[in-house]
Amino acid sequence: MSVVARALVALMLAAPAAVAQDARLVARLDKPTLDAVTAIVDSARAAKLPTAPLVDRALEGSAKGSDGRKIISAVKQLSVRMGSARRALGATATADEIKAAAGALDAGISANDLARLRAASGKRPVTTPLDVLTDLVGRAVPVDAATNVVVQLAKSGVKDPEFALFQRNVRADIDRGADPTVAATTRARGLVQRAGTGTKPSK
Amino acid sequence: MADEDDVMMKKIAQELRKPVPVSTSFDARVMRAVRELPRHARRRLWSRLNAPRTITVQPLGWGLLAASVALFALLGAMHASADINRVAKASANFFPKTKATTPDQRVQFVLVAPDAKKVSVVGDFNGWDAQHIEYQAQHRGGGVWSVTAQVPVGHHRYSFVVDDSLWVADPTAPRVVDNDFGVANSTMVVQEQK
Repeated sequence: MSVVARALVALMLAAPAAVAQDARLVARLDKPTLDAVTAIVDSARAAKLPTAPLVDRALEGSAKGSDGRKIISAVKQLSVRMGSARRALGATATADEIKAAAGALDAGISANDLARLRAASGKRPVTTPLDVLTDLVGRAVPVDAATNVVVQLAKSGVKDPEFALFQRNVRADIDRGADPTVAATTRARGLVQRAGTGTKPSK
Repeated sequence: MADEDDVMMKKIAQELRKPVPVSTSFDARVMRAVRELPRHARRRLWSRLNAPRTITVQPLGWGLLAASVALFALLGAMHASADINRVAKASANFFPKTKATTPDQRVQFVLVAPDAKKVSVVGDFNGWDAQHIEYQAQHRGGGVWSVTAQVPVGHHRYSFVVDDSLWVADPTAPRVVDNDFGVANSTMVVQEQK
């Protein structure tokens, strides 16, 4: 093999690895984990999924002291969930929406429910409603009830700051001993009624 | 007497000048023995690097090599700026071209932790680095810890780390379960100030 041919082959082999590896991952992951995570990130890039959340996930796992096997599994699962999230939300979904929707799927919310929320929100971003939905489920509001509440709020045109206030109020009610489902539906009913009359919610 | 000595010396010299018959394989045996002598590795490498060589230049081959080097450099640069480009392109779709890239926003993080010796904020905005100097909370008294730091616009996951070991979700923010690493995080959406 000539010198030129050998140099070409070396460049072709080196280029993809050099392009794909993130310096932070190189610093924090062992070689087998790094290679596996890099391969998943490359696949996500090829599928036009956001790759930053995958890198962040690996860094998070490393910071939490997880072993390589867990980190690889978590990054792979997130990649799969982001693919499902994008299919549910549509091709125009932003990286933030995909990231929030992947968290919702992890909490047990179905892809169909993501699509319902997308349809109910029109052109408004669904990032904050998805975070609120995920939070409700994490606070023991059943998935069906939580989804119905958040979809109803989205249909009523509730905006992000109101969603955030709703989440804080429900959390406070639950912390004070309220039944999670009752707290969520009661607070939502009040917000929908106010949205219907055009009055601002009180803190 | 001296003349006799001179004649004798000339005869001896003549005898010594006569060619000695050598076996035909002698050269080969000598060279083989020389090659088998140990040589210092670095000296051998230096000799190879220093040895003059004839290089044949093929325009097509060297052209391909040059193109590959350029492509390699371009791919590296593209990768380094991929995220920046994505943000810039997204911004360009929504904002007038004269507008600069969205700046980071200042966000205050507060945790009440009366028994803590140290509190830091980790998240996807600082690579989950508990030692990041800009995200170390200060004790304000009465068990209240806080830090105000720059966070990029967008959706973020984060947590507090107490005493470098205990991960605590922000009690005032939406929570997101973590079935992989077992510690719940908080989420927030940082919006551009208008």
